[in-house]
Amino acid sequence: MKAYLHLTLSYFRGFVRDRAALFWTLAFPLLFVTIFGLIFGRELGGEFELGLVVQDRSPQAGVVAQVLRAFPAFKLTEDGLERELADLREGRRRAVLVVPDGFGASLATAAPRPVTVHYDASQQSNAQVVLPVIYRAVDLADRTLTRSAPLVRVELQTLQTERLRSIDFIIPGIVAMSVMQLGIFGAVNMVSLRERRVLRRLAATPVPRVTVVAADVTLRLGLTLVQTAILVSVARAAFGVNVTGNLLVLAGVVLLGVLAFLALGFLIAAFARTEQGFFPIAQVPMFIMMFMSGIFFPIEFVPEWVRPIINAFPLTFLGDAVRQVMVGGAPLFPLALDLGVLAAFLAVFFVGAVRLFRWE
Amino acid sequence: MPVIEVEGLRKRYGAIAAVDGVNFQVDRGEVFGMLGPNGAGKTTTVEILEGLRPRDGGTVRVLGLDPSHAARAIKARIGVQLQQVALFPDLKVPEIIELFASFYGRGGVAGGLIERLGLQERRTARVKELSGGQQQRLSVALAAVNDPELVFLDEPTTGMDPQARRNLWGVVEQFKSEGRTVFLTTHYMEEAERLCDRVAVMDHGRIIALDAPGRLVRAHFNEDAIEFAQCDGLSTDDLRPLPEVTSAALEGDRFAVFSARVPETMAALLDLARARKLPLEDLRVRHATLEDVFLKLTGRTLRD
Repeated sequence: MKAYLHLTLSYFRGFVRDRAALFWTLAFPLLFVTIFGLIFGRELGGEFELGLVVQDRSPQAGVVAQVLRAFPAFKLTEDGLERELADLREGRRRAVLVVPDGFGASLATAAPRPVTVHYDASQQSNAQVVLPVIYRAVDLADRTLTRSAPLVRVELQTLQTERLRSIDFIIPGIVAMSVMQLGIFGAVNMVSLRERRVLRRLAATPVPRVTVVAADVTLRLGLTLVQTAILVSVARAAFGVNVTGNLLVLAGVVLLGVLAFLALGFLIAAFARTEQGFFPIAQVPMFIMMFMSGIFFPIEFVPEWVRPIINAFPLTFLGDAVRQVMVGGAPLFPLALDLGVLAAFLAVFFVGAVRLFRWE
Repeated sequence: MPVIEVEGLRKRYGAIAAVDGVNFQVDRGEVFGMLGPNGAGKTTTVEILEGLRPRDGGTVRVLGLDPSHAARAIKARIGVQLQQVALFPDLKVPEIIELFASFYGRGGVAGGLIERLGLQERRTARVKELSGGQQQRLSVALAAVNDPELVFLDEPTTGMDPQARRNLWGVVEQFKSEGRTVFLTTHYMEEAERLCDRVAVMDHGRIIALDAPGRLVRAHFNEDAIEFAQCDGLSTDDLRPLPEVTSAALEGDRFAVFSARVPETMAALLDLARARKLPLEDLRVRHATLEDVFLKLTGRTLRD
């Protein structure tokens, strides 16, 4: 027990004193989150920047402006028609709403003047997302003016507590990818110790081999929890990605995942003599899985015939499990199946690694 | 009871017999040396004794136990220094000592060993920042971390400067004075002569001679050697006919003329030199050494 704790501590010291290991384990996944967050986090998230130009001074125009100003999803600026249209053209506004001159007076007539919405039709997200929200806001203004309560109401009930954005889809993918990386690369410690003949020196002490490996696995499990916690916290703080599922279940999922990938790493280590030889071999399955496991795109995007290939990779199941536990995303498979498949991969890799890994 | 008993030990790697029927015993409290060139089978023998390698044949008892069955029990009671171990590169000296101590559930390096090995000023350094010689010394310190009855040192002074080598010899003498048995391999004959109570000379997987260093030399040489730098036009055939000469050899770039009575041989040699105008540079007289024994037994030098 004492030997096990001291070995774990020693591996940990080695880890934190190795800048490259620190970077790949903690900084690199964070970099991924930041980049994807900046690309996808803004697109559909948060508030829409809209310009509002009220040309009419009637009380009715005032009510419409008030409703729009109070609408929660809008961030309004009112810098005058020309400025606002210029900002729209430069992409700083999603749309510009104009309440035209004579609006209030026209409402009582047969031909009420419309609220004009200027928008950039080349921006797809505008048509799909912003315009419906604007309709809703204007509709609310309309009902406020006529003082009518809607008879038929629609209540939206999504699978998620909140609308799922691209970033909500991608963050669980990054969590899964990072777990894979930590697992597969985690085996490099043993390769390096073997290459430096430290394993041989340890073999000359009464410490059993299983202790030598168990201490390493313990460190990797701990690092996985720390890494996942950091990724989830940053995604939440910076990009508003909420974990809707149970954190303990999420911890269980990533721990099972890292065990499976660690076993794969040890299996790879059986074929690499040196630390330098290990990385090129390890990168092959890693890159294939990164791009073939649907962690960065929904599986519906790929042709039907590719899907069986995707379903042959453990990362697919880890990604699916993390996604459904973390953000309640629509699952490809039931959680129990994901975990069962991961456990099966773990068993196969483990047996292979135990059979093939050489201690010297 | 002997600390180590080996009978008919064999180990093959493919077609090569690395250890080919070796017999010896090591008694409690002695410093036992195994001397031989690289590839003689020293390290293989040591690693079998340490329980790191299975043997193909023969019987082995270490501390009364068979390494094939009781490796763990043996490992708890022996100290080991292996060749070419880099240790944990990112750990500091006290951390790595603490780690190894934890493997035995006791200990810490015996008082003064860190100082004696010249590691005290490098206490805060990481292993990878130590020089090769310092790492080697740390490796020896770790061999004593469990207060072992028996210490294996496999070529402990390889790569050390002369000062560090002398310090390490002091450590081996300290081990002996503390009552530990030391099993040492080396290819430095000065080291074997200085430290070992008995030496086994090993070549091609066999022990070709085994005795106390002085007795080994006396058994093979009743004479002293007259030595001088090689010079043109002179061969060992010119030297053998000189009076009292028992043998003559070219050892590297020096002639060694073994004489039963040095004054008579020397007088004749000087006459020869005067007559043939030989420079006889760097002329000296010395006792025969283990190196000479090895050369006589195998026809090769230890560094070959």
